[in-house]
Amino acid sequence: MTTASANRISGFHRTWNRFKTYISKPQNAILLMLGILLTITTIFPMYTIVRDTVRIHPGSIDTQGKALESQVDALGTTLTTYNWSNLFTETITTRVGRERVTRSVASIYLWTPLLNSVLISIFACFGAILYGGVFAYLVTRTNLKYKKYLSSIFIFPYIMPQWTLAVMWQNLFNSNAVTGGNDGLFVALFNVYMPRWWCEGIFPVSVVLAIHYAPFAYILIGGIFRNMDANLEEAATILNTPRWKTFFRVTLPLVKPAILSTVLLVFSSAMGSYPIPHYLKLSTLSTQYVGMSTNRAGQASILAVIMMLFGFLILIVNQKTTSGRKNFTTVTGKSGQSSVVNLGPAKYAISILFVLLTLFTGILPIILFAVETFLPNPGDYSFITHGIAGHTTTKWWLTSENVTENGMYGQKGILYNADIWNAFAGTFFVAICCALAAGIIGTLIGYCVSKNRRSKWAAYVNNMAFLPYLMPSLAVGVAFFIFGSGAGIYNTFLLLILAGTVKYIPFASRSALNSMMQLSGEIEEAAIIQNIPWWKRMTRIIIPIQKTSIISGFLLPFMTCLRELTLFMLLCGQGKIITTMLGYFDEMGLYAFSSGINLILIILILLFNTLVNKLTGASIDSGIGGDS
Amino acid sequence: MKKFLSLILALTLCLTMFSFASAESVEDVIAEAQKMTLEELFKKAIEESNGKRFDAVGNSSRGKSVLPLFVEELQKIDPSYKLDYEGGWQQPKENKIFDQLTEDINGANHVMSMTLIQDGNQIQSKMLDTGLLLNFVPKEWSEAEGVAKEGNENPLALQTLNKVFMFNNLGEKTYKNMWDFVREGEAPLFMGVNSEPVGKNFLYMMTNDKYATIAKEAYEAWDGKNAEDDELIESMKEDAADLGLTGDNVQYGLAWVYLWCEKYNEETDDGPICNTLVTTSAKDQAGLLVYSKLRSVEETAESSVNNVTVAAYQDGYVGIGGYAYKHYLMLTKTSPLPWTSCALIAYMTTTQEGFKAWGKDMGGYAPVPACMQDHSKDGYVDGVDTYPAKNDRGYDWWLNEGKLVVEEPAYCASVSGTMSDWIDGIVASK
Repeated sequence: MTTASANRISGFHRTWNRFKTYISKPQNAILLMLGILLTITTIFPMYTIVRDTVRIHPGSIDTQGKALESQVDALGTTLTTYNWSNLFTETITTRVGRERVTRSVASIYLWTPLLNSVLISIFACFGAILYGGVFAYLVTRTNLKYKKYLSSIFIFPYIMPQWTLAVMWQNLFNSNAVTGGNDGLFVALFNVYMPRWWCEGIFPVSVVLAIHYAPFAYILIGGIFRNMDANLEEAATILNTPRWKTFFRVTLPLVKPAILSTVLLVFSSAMGSYPIPHYLKLSTLSTQYVGMSTNRAGQASILAVIMMLFGFLILIVNQKTTSGRKNFTTVTGKSGQSSVVNLGPAKYAISILFVLLTLFTGILPIILFAVETFLPNPGDYSFITHGIAGHTTTKWWLTSENVTENGMYGQKGILYNADIWNAFAGTFFVAICCALAAGIIGTLIGYCVSKNRRSKWAAYVNNMAFLPYLMPSLAVGVAFFIFGSGAGIYNTFLLLILAGTVKYIPFASRSALNSMMQLSGEIEEAAIIQNIPWWKRMTRIIIPIQKTSIISGFLLPFMTCLRELTLFMLLCGQGKIITTMLGYFDEMGLYAFSSGINLILIILILLFNTLVNKLTGASIDSGIGGDS
Repeated sequence: MKKFLSLILALTLCLTMFSFASAESVEDVIAEAQKMTLEELFKKAIEESNGKRFDAVGNSSRGKSVLPLFVEELQKIDPSYKLDYEGGWQQPKENKIFDQLTEDINGANHVMSMTLIQDGNQIQSKMLDTGLLLNFVPKEWSEAEGVAKEGNENPLALQTLNKVFMFNNLGEKTYKNMWDFVREGEAPLFMGVNSEPVGKNFLYMMTNDKYATIAKEAYEAWDGKNAEDDELIESMKEDAADLGLTGDNVQYGLAWVYLWCEKYNEETDDGPICNTLVTTSAKDQAGLLVYSKLRSVEETAESSVNNVTVAAYQDGYVGIGGYAYKHYLMLTKTSPLPWTSCALIAYMTTTQEGFKAWGKDMGGYAPVPACMQDHSKDGYVDGVDTYPAKNDRGYDWWLNEGKLVVEEPAYCASVSGTMSDWIDGIVASK
């Protein structure tokens, strides 16, 4: 054997031994496995979207590019750059205001939807932070009245499927004179006609998104306010600093990380929202994607790629802000003595204002849902407008057959409708599986990353786990649709669970990581010295100590899955899960069914949340808030 | 050992050759099935699928309600017959049916046996031109008395559905001509052309010379026409040339399409359009929607079927009364159960029981008259004509008097490449 080959072998042995030593620690072995798994489940679907932009789709406009510039890849798929070149360089002659005009393809299919998507995302962030942040401050730092009631009712819009508020907005404000169609409740009851910009477009979409995501801001910012060390503010007070100056110079900088977190999460969520712009008639990247998939399937995938790029951008911003947060380690909350600001006589006025606001966003939808299920025709409030009590019905609940035409469009009543209950069962199955998978993987990531804080691989795994959450839901849905269709698992629970798990791992990983960071290494070291195996250390020491945060990491994916539509709508048929069925009923205008399903869904989520809260102390508002 | 291995290999080879020789392609099955009676097809289906799993995909959820009836029919021949179809009738959202079928047929694992599908344009360009779906015409269908073969045979249509112009009649406006729906100040309710592509197909069909000529005749008879509209129609010749459209009167069809796209008020579905039009507060509103939606309106002080008028039912109405699209039945070229699919298709298209799920509503017409139910007196209550709008005048009336624009897959596919963008440009600029 030569010296060189001996060196080579010993070099290999050294590396192998180093690897064996590395892998012998459970946290490293798990991290390696999860890193590989997450790379596949996150990157591969994204790759399929990108690949779809250069594929030729029969019956789509890209077939025109075939003869000109087609190529065949290693898999035998015909490729083309036509989708990109056509979208960004070509023009179309069409009509605007009776005049013949030439417009670029991108101006019709891309720029306006992109601008609208960015605008509603910005406005939604601003609105959610303003509404949720102010509310968080009032609840945690002032002597506001009815805190407990307001705090629980404030998260209702987040529990409800997001488009239900959009449908309610339509039912309240639309009018024959302005939007066409029949008059909504505002006109019927008060004879008030709202302008078109109020009823359709950017304004209502932004408002509804802001209301839906304000609980995010409340939970994140509220978490900081609740744990903030009062000494900093007290020091400012002792130095005779005016209250407003203390707020802007001391309090606000402390909540900056939470505000940034809210911005990142709300921005990506708002950008990927499909149903709200769809109902409130705004062209966004999401609605355009669905509209283009008939004739411009490849270009629709380009839109999804653009949404993905926003996800990457947000990840980069998140990285920057996360490193910045090291400056705020005092926020982890040892003091627990937060000072309470006395609102004086204004406390009643402000409390009533928030009671009214939450009445509008939390209680009114539920009342309207309940009422809707007793109307003879969808949106027919003649029992109020004409004072005829007989114009109500229980048919939407109690009709047990669908042979006779009962004015129910061939459907059985909710209580007898097997399709609805099967869809509920499907939703619960998906939600439980996603919660378990995301919860377990997320907890393991949290644990392993906390044990390898300086490792680049750990940082990579952590980012890879967080990336899908920053991707707009529709983009993730598109990626899994293309991936799932190719793998022959379209319309299966497997695909839904896979997509849901990948998307919601961050709930658990963030929650677990933050809680694990608080754990002193000595606790586990003591057990290691005693030769306690890893699984026993986890189940007997680590998990019991951080039980609440870990359960929150399971609870949030579960709750979110229950009311998720955008992520799942491309992955299954309409009867598979309850949200796709709910969306179907809403689109069909069968509001009694959708309202009844919504009611059941909200009650179930609240019951479940209460149950878990009673059993474990965890609740929906203790998960997301943990990380900031 | 060597001998044993050789024997195994030889046996495997023989079995493989035998299985190749005995395997029938779906095309072969169809060719044979087209010569068989319904009963013979039922027997073949029993032979093929007893105890097996059946999956299909459809635009209409009613497909799943016909499966238990079909199984009952087969059980009359063989009481032990069982078919596992629970959850097997899928209805994808957001026009994903074509992607689902494509992936199923081109993928390694073929699940879907057949489909009930709409949208002639995509069927032609994505399914027929590519050979992914195969047509089957039952013998009994071909030989049925009075069968309307034209436009229904290839691909085979289960039914023709109509979407018709209606308006709320409590206001002042009148709609006696198809151009009244696109005059200044109108905002007729209509499903978005990209959320329901059959609506876009209707607009493509308006450029077909047959319907463009109807548009021309209606325009000439229209008392609302003016110089500006004349100018618009004239200028449309240029657009027609750009779009590669031919025909003497295509500019009239194109002008009507332009005005319609510029004015229509988009709704998510025909259900909300119907719920709106029948209310007392929807005065002077009009819409283009599925006729059968009227069946589900419950009479109250606020809503009534009598608050709407079906435009084409008025005496002296001029022009098209709406449009028609079809539900087609076809087999996938990789159908795991081709005989069963052929039997089911024959059952649905040639018997009243098989068509019952669709035939119970007005506005849906089977090509075989024997499958149809009479809906000409659906508006009668206790022998009195109470809701005239619900009295369906039937397929022939709608085609000839109501002048429905009927979807033609080949025509739609031939013009969609250019017209789709032209329409999208108008809609995006609203």
